Amino acid sequence: MTAGTTTRPGTGTRGSRILGVLALAGLAWLVIFGFLLSPADEVQGDSVRLMYVHVPSAWLAYLSFGVTAFCSLMYLWKRTRSLAWDRVAGCSAEIGLLFTGLALVTGMTWGQVTRGHVWDWGDARLVTTALLFLLFVGYVALRRLPAAPNVRAKRAAVAGIIAFLDVPLVHQSVEWFRTLHQSPTILRKDLNPQIDGVMLFSVFVGVVAFTLVYVWLLVHRNRVAMMEAQLEAGGLEQALAERRGEPVGTAAVGS
Amino acid sequence: MIAAVISGYVGTVVLGYSLVLGGMALFALRVLRRGRVLARQLPDEDKPWT
Repeated sequence: MTAGTTTRPGTGTRGSRILGVLALAGLAWLVIFGFLLSPADEVQGDSVRLMYVHVPSAWLAYLSFGVTAFCSLMYLWKRTRSLAWDRVAGCSAEIGLLFTGLALVTGMTWGQVTRGHVWDWGDARLVTTALLFLLFVGYVALRRLPAAPNVRAKRAAVAGIIAFLDVPLVHQSVEWFRTLHQSPTILRKDLNPQIDGVMLFSVFVGVVAFTLVYVWLLVHRNRVAMMEAQLEAGGLEQALAERRGEPVGTAAVGS
Repeated sequence: MIAAVISGYVGTVVLGYSLVLGGMALFALRVLRRGRVLARQLPDEDKPWT
């Protein structure tokens, strides 16, 4: 490993740049739909426009943590065990935290307008989502504890799967518990979304745009994680080489 | 006046969109910046995407 021998300055490639442009175009499309093309709601007025960023944020949180759980399972399964699965799981969890935070913030903002307060401990959807956020904060913190890569990967995989168990609880909380949050509007059991066509399409635009952002972020974050692993392994090799080269007496004094 | 706009529906919506887009942008910038710093410390052969 030689410092200063790079010719490529970062994590970008032609493919990731195209993806980035598509994601930006998707976000611009979302803002146009959200602010200009979608109508105001008869009951909620303009505040309904928050739905086009709130719902996609929540769905992308589910997707991110779903990817974390899937990759964790792949790591724990001996036939597919590879640190690459662990790396993607960790990266996706970080992005999931971002989307969960955004879903919470936009939900609280929307709650302020529609219910008159930002937080309610009696709201099962709010509380289980906050719990999801905290569980994955714990997951990310666990990954940062110093340990051998395989040990860290195994315990992170177990923690990731356990934390993911809260996702179905979050989704079903509006059905299973009494809650202020409205019941499902789009993903209903009767497969009949209770929403105006343009509004539904605006949510769809948001989901597509946020998914593109997620994939773009995951590609770049994964490349950063690859480099972090390379440098960590390089640092360990160097420390071992220095250790081997030490005179015996120095080691004895140090121990 | 600013408080009145923010407390209104449109102000809240603008605030919500700003938080979402700003949050994503901050996260993306942090990842890109970290990538640039680390990429300088590694040769291209250690970066499979190059």
